Order: sequence, then structure tokens, then C-alpha cells
Amino acid sequence: MENAAQVGLAPERAAGPVWRFLIQPRWLGWHLLMAVSFWGMLWLGDWQLHRALAGNGLSWAYTFEWPLFAGFAVVFWAKTIKDEFRIRRDGPPGTLAGSSDSDDLPVSVRPVQVSVGTAEDDDDEELSAYNAYLARLNDEVKRHGRWHGLRS
Amino acid sequence: MNAAVLRYRVMAYVTGVVLVVLCFVGIPLQVAGHPAVANNVGVVHGILYIIYLVFAWILSRKLGLATKPTVIMLLAGTIPIMTFIVERWVTRRFINPALAAQPSPAQPVRH
Repeated sequence: MENAAQVGLAPERAAGPVWRFLIQPRWLGWHLLMAVSFWGMLWLGDWQLHRALAGNGLSWAYTFEWPLFAGFAVVFWAKTIKDEFRIRRDGPPGTLAGSSDSDDLPVSVRPVQVSVGTAEDDDDEELSAYNAYLARLNDEVKRHGRWHGLRS
Repeated sequence: MNAAVLRYRVMAYVTGVVLVVLCFVGIPLQVAGHPAVANNVGVVHGILYIIYLVFAWILSRKLGLATKPTVIMLLAGTIPIMTFIVERWVTRRFINPALAAQPSPAQPVRH
């Protein structure tokens, strides 16, 4: 299989500037979630402060804890976006260095190698049908691993 | 990498045990009119959870996890018993493959 193409590693050329991903529906959902949890946690901190001032000594611990969590949420959000920018600019780790990173991955998460078919393959109807089937499967799972937690 | 995994695991179990004590011992006692256990264990869990957050976050970045599993990992420390379940899931799904991908312990961790 000299012409086996690593379809899974083909670099994606997104149309438009890199920051566009930030206004995709999924990312808008994350932004909204972050905003709500940030203000929610600040509000909880304020509530605990009022309880503490009203004489509940235990609330002092939570008065400082909630703003800390709110700050953590912001750091988390900022780092995630920064990472995403880096990945979208440079491509998945390893593709720039020219090394085949996927060889290090366990078999279950390696990109599927798909034969694109040659002229002689086309003579064999069954084989080309099978290759088309493999290509379709690979297409379907291409961005799947990412959603399940792997950044590649 | 191994140190990060160990720190995460220790905090997952410690935070998990304290949260189970809080929810299944402290809260019933509080309802029964003895709030002392819930108060003290509650503050302890609050402090432990901050440490858990930091270690889980460091590990998730070393593993290069996407947003969804990271959020699940971080929030697990607030739901009783969840830390144990999530720790097993993270181990099977991400830690073991990542450790298997390291050719030798001396190799630097690749991000």
C-alpha cells in the first residue's frame, strides 16, 4: 500500500481568521457557561460574606473560597482558549516536527490508515467498495476522538 | 507525569472520602440537631477541594485533555462517590494510554 493516505492527519484549512472558532455555537455555549458560573460564584461569595457579617463564623472560610473558585474558572477558560489558538495555528502536536506522533498512540486512538485506491484497485469492484466504506468510516470518526478527550 | 498522576489520585481519594463522610455522616447528624460534624468536615472538604482542583488541573494539562473531560474531572470533587468513579475512568481512558505511549520512564513528557 504505497499510496495509503493518512486521512486522519490531513491538516484542516479553516476558512477565515483563526479566532472564528470562538463564535461557533459550541464555544458560545462554553462562554455562556463560564459567565454564568463566574457571576454565580461571586454571588455565592457575597452571600457568604453577609452570613459571616451576621455572625456565622464558619462562613468566613466560604467567603474567601467562592471568589477563589471564580478566579480559577477564569484562568481555566483563558488557558483553554489559548491552547485552542495554539492548536489551530500550529496543527495537532507532532505534525510540524514531521514526526509521526500517532505511532506512539495506543492502537485504539490511532488515526485509521485508509487506502485511497489505485487504478488497478478500481478493477476490483468489491475492493473499491470496501475502500469507500473505510474512507467513510474514517470520515465519521475523524473528529470523534477529540470530543472524547484526545487533542488530535 | 507519574508524580502528577499520584498527586491527583491521592487527592481524589482523600477528597472523596471526606465528602462521603460529610454527606452520609455529617448531614444526617446535622438534620438530627448535631451540626458540629458537618461544620468541621465541610470546611475541611472546602480546603481539600481547592488542592484537588489544582492537582486535577495540572494532570489534565499534562495529559492534554480536551475541555469536557477536564470539567468532569474538576467537578467530580463536589459530588459524593464521583471522585472514585471518575478516577477509575480517567485512569482507564487517559492515564494508561498516556503511560503506555511513553517509551521509557527517562523520556521527557511531550505536550
